[in-house]
Amino acid sequence: METKELLQKLLERIKHHWKLYDEATRNTAVESIEFELGEMENIFGLLVLGSFVGLPSPPMQITLELLPEMEKHFTLMLAKVDMANEPVSNLFSVFDIM
Amino acid sequence: MGKGGVGKSTSSALTALHLASKGHKVRLISMDPAHNQSDIFKTTFSDKFLKINNNLSVKEVDVGRWIDKYLKEMQEQVKRSYSYLTAFNLENYLDILKFSPGMEEYALLLAYREIRNSANEADYLVFDMPPTALTLKFFGLPDVSLTWLENLLTLRNKIIEKKEIIARVKLGKKEIETDKIRNKLYKQIEEYNSIKQVFKDTSKTSLNLVMNTDKLSFAESQLIVNNLAKFDVIISNVFLNKWDNDFNISEIEERYKECKLQVFPLSETPLLGVDTLNSYLKKLSGFIEI
Repeated sequence: METKELLQKLLERIKHHWKLYDEATRNTAVESIEFELGEMENIFGLLVLGSFVGLPSPPMQITLELLPEMEKHFTLMLAKVDMANEPVSNLFSVFDIM
Repeated sequence: MGKGGVGKSTSSALTALHLASKGHKVRLISMDPAHNQSDIFKTTFSDKFLKINNNLSVKEVDVGRWIDKYLKEMQEQVKRSYSYLTAFNLENYLDILKFSPGMEEYALLLAYREIRNSANEADYLVFDMPPTALTLKFFGLPDVSLTWLENLLTLRNKIIEKKEIIARVKLGKKEIETDKIRNKLYKQIEEYNSIKQVFKDTSKTSLNLVMNTDKLSFAESQLIVNNLAKFDVIISNVFLNKWDNDFNISEIEERYKECKLQVFPLSETPLLGVDTLNSYLKKLSGFIEI
C-alpha cells in the first residue's frame, strides 16, 4: 500500500515537473515570435493612429471606425516610447544574450 | 457636377422637375454646402424632404449635422470600450476632429448612403453636387479608403497568423478569439466596395456634367472627366447650360461623343420659382433620357 502511494506521489511530481518544463520550453519557443508580433502590432497602431503622433494617416474615418478597438495599441505605443532609447538592450533581452 | 457657377443647381432642378412631370417619383437632394435650391424654388428647404408637388420632394443636406452626429456616435463607442480614456486625452482630440480635412466629404458620403438606402419609394434621386474639388474628393473617397483598408487588412492578417502560431504552441489551441479589428476592416471594405460599384454602374448612377460655352468651363470639365476616369467613374450626360445661338455645339458633341448632350438655352429671365422653371422646360425642344 505504501509503495503504491509513493509511486503515485512520484508520478504526480514527475507530471508536475514535466508540465513546468513543457510550459517553459513552449514560452521560449515563441518568445521571438511574440516580440515580432509586438512590433507588428505597433506598426499597425502607428499606421492607424499616426495622426496622434504626427505621421501620415489614413482618411480620418478609417481611424475613427477602428478607434474603439485600439486601446491596446495606444498602450503599446506608449510602452514602445519608453523602450525607444534602448532598442539593442530590448533585442538582447528577447534573445536571452548575456 | 461642374465648375462653380455653371448652373449645376438649376440643371438639377430642371432635371428633377422634368422627371417628375413624366410621372416618376423624384427626390432632389442638395449636397452643395452653398445650397442654392432654396433660392431656385423660392422655398426654404431643410435636412428633411419637403414636397414640391405629388412627385417631387427636395431637401438640403446639413453637412455639419452629419459630422456632429457621426463624431458623437464614435465618441460614445470609444467611451464604452476604453478603460483609460482620459489618460490618452482622447476627449479633446475627438472635439477638434470636426475641423479635420476629409470630414466634409465623409459626411457627404454618409448622407448619400442613408438617402440611397431609404429611397425605396423614389424612382430617381437627383443630387445637386458641390463644386469640382469637393465632388472629386467625394467620388475618390471609396478608392482612397479601399487602398488603405486593403493594406491594413494584409498587415492584420499577418498579425493574426502570428497570434495563431503562438496560441498553438503555448496552449495547443488552433483557433483564437475573433479579431474585432479585422472584422471592422472587412465591414468597411464591403461598404466602400458597394458604394464604388454603384458609382461605376451607369445603370444605377448617371453622372451629368454641366458646362457653359466659355473656355474655363471647358477646361475644368475636361479635368473632372480625367480625374473621375482614375476611379473608373464615367460621365453619362453633358448639360450645356446658358447656350446662345452663336455658339457651335459640334466641338462639344465631338469631344463628348460617348455622352448624351442636353442643351439649355440662355434664358432671358432668371430661372427662379417652380412656374418659371416649368414654363422654361415646356419651351425646350426636347430632354434627353436620363
